[in-house]
Amino acid sequence: MDLSFLLAGAGKTMTSFFSMTYLFVFLPVCLIVYAITPKKAKKYVLLAESLLFFWLVSGVLVAYLLLSAVSIMCLGLLIGKLQEKQRAAVKELPKEEKKAVKQEFIKKQRAVVFLGVLIHIGLLLVLKYSGFFLGNINTLLAAFNCPVEMYVPSFAMPIGISFFSLQALSYIVDVYHGLVKPDKNFARLLLFLSFFPQIVEGPICRYGQTASQLWEVGSIKYRNLTFGLQRILYGMMKKLVIADRLDPLVKKVFDEPNSFDGGVIILAAVCYTVQLYMDFSGSMDAVLGTAEIFGIRLPENFERPFFSRSVSEFWKRWHITLGAWFKDYIFFPVTSAKRMKNLTSSARKKLGNHFGPLVAGGIALFCVWICNGLWHGAGWNFIFFGMYHFVLILSGNIITPASKKVLQKLHINASGLGYRVFQIIRTTILVIIGELFFRANGVGSGMELFGRIFTDLSFRSFDEFLLPRLGVDIFDLSICGVTLLIVFAVSIINEKGVCIRETLAKRNIVFRWCVLYMLILFIVVFGAYSFGYIPVDPMYAQF
Amino acid sequence: MERLIEILEDIQPDVDYENCTDLIDGHYLSSLDIISLIAELEDEYDITVPAVEIVPDNFNSAEKIMRMIERLQED
Repeated sequence: MDLSFLLAGAGKTMTSFFSMTYLFVFLPVCLIVYAITPKKAKKYVLLAESLLFFWLVSGVLVAYLLLSAVSIMCLGLLIGKLQEKQRAAVKELPKEEKKAVKQEFIKKQRAVVFLGVLIHIGLLLVLKYSGFFLGNINTLLAAFNCPVEMYVPSFAMPIGISFFSLQALSYIVDVYHGLVKPDKNFARLLLFLSFFPQIVEGPICRYGQTASQLWEVGSIKYRNLTFGLQRILYGMMKKLVIADRLDPLVKKVFDEPNSFDGGVIILAAVCYTVQLYMDFSGSMDAVLGTAEIFGIRLPENFERPFFSRSVSEFWKRWHITLGAWFKDYIFFPVTSAKRMKNLTSSARKKLGNHFGPLVAGGIALFCVWICNGLWHGAGWNFIFFGMYHFVLILSGNIITPASKKVLQKLHINASGLGYRVFQIIRTTILVIIGELFFRANGVGSGMELFGRIFTDLSFRSFDEFLLPRLGVDIFDLSICGVTLLIVFAVSIINEKGVCIRETLAKRNIVFRWCVLYMLILFIVVFGAYSFGYIPVDPMYAQF
Repeated sequence: MERLIEILEDIQPDVDYENCTDLIDGHYLSSLDIISLIAELEDEYDITVPAVEIVPDNFNSAEKIMRMIERLQED
């Protein structure tokens, strides 16, 4: 009997939340089984469904997830034991002795945290980055005519390893900080790591945010079901009608950087930024919508990032859970180190209140952005992408006092609509440039594309042959434009704090179903799927 | 409390620290202001503010910052 399917899983057919297999087979079956299961057993069903999903997308590589869960459970319990011993040891001691004993125990706990970091980051380094680093070492050796060539391994990576590794690490650090109690329940910890809607693309959740919600799941409520399905539909519109429709154009231009003039490259860079946003935020709508059906509230990952007035604000609204993770587990721990605090104190005395903290802050920011770049992928273009944002954010902070003075001198109202629109457009242009390098096939290709915008800026190729050459037609671009206007209108309403689903729920049933049928019909008619379209994998799943 | 408000005003003036209750959530204090503030608080009150304490809830108002200081002094 051939059991190879046990190792392979179902492959890529399941990675997209908008694939037919997932939407019309996996999810409905999961919901039905969950709904008919007695309340006490629902959490176990959810866990079984999550593991089944992970096996379907990653096959035997599910072992990595199990290894991660086992390791954080053991390490969490070990930290808990040390904390208990510490409390007992310092209980009767006088205050002056307490500190020394406490320090001893903290040292031991830090060693355990370090072991957790070593396991998870070590695994990521081997699976995701070893090929990149060793490949670069070989290039360097060849440049110095060294006859040695190192073997460059290639490993199969489980889907979502970059996401669940960060969740696992946050759990260990939170236990160490006393923010959460070490969990003795392996099933609950495993469900926290593996909850199936979030395993492929996040959001990156903290144990305190979701573990008990997931463990206390109840029956599916009508309101949660309708709200969740509506959100999935909205995400589906973003992904199938906009993101996937733009894919051929983006692919063509970025794969052939020398074939197009600056005008087409600008068009492709804008289209890629739109595609990435629609793909990732659309997938997040599906993830949060699915979780909502089960009654789980996951943290939001997007808050209308293209309304940001600075690059720094953009990163507070784009991939929020990743930014928050880096802030809590890298930025503040780095700036809280004793030497960094001393550096801040002395720098403030010499450079003043604004520039003083920028010294330590800049170092921490550098650590955050090098990690952010590498997290997205093992490639120089990702490192470049990180460094690009590091420079933008740091220089934005440096010039703040000067720009305030300039605005005052020119009598420009910084909170006026005109200036806000200028800031939003400026931020969007800077983001698009960053995304151009992010999407390019290497830094060299990115430079080539970016350079052509200036050296070959013309629109001569905008003739009747351009669109067929790019694999799209005027219909594709018109549909994308109209759908983007819908998303823009919804974003403005949401920005004002209005929840459209709540508003819709208050209207009569005829109106509600008219709106929903129109949305379904819109996706069915204008979605880029079926014959003539190549399915596009979720873009963030590869990170 | 007066001394704390002086420190806050030195770092970021033009904020009504007596009444403001969303210093972080309302974006009155940035991450860099927090770094400055912590360095200053540690010198002034002889405390150590660990990274785990750097959460919006501890810094959203002068009163909450004071409460955190008192708690850390007791530890």
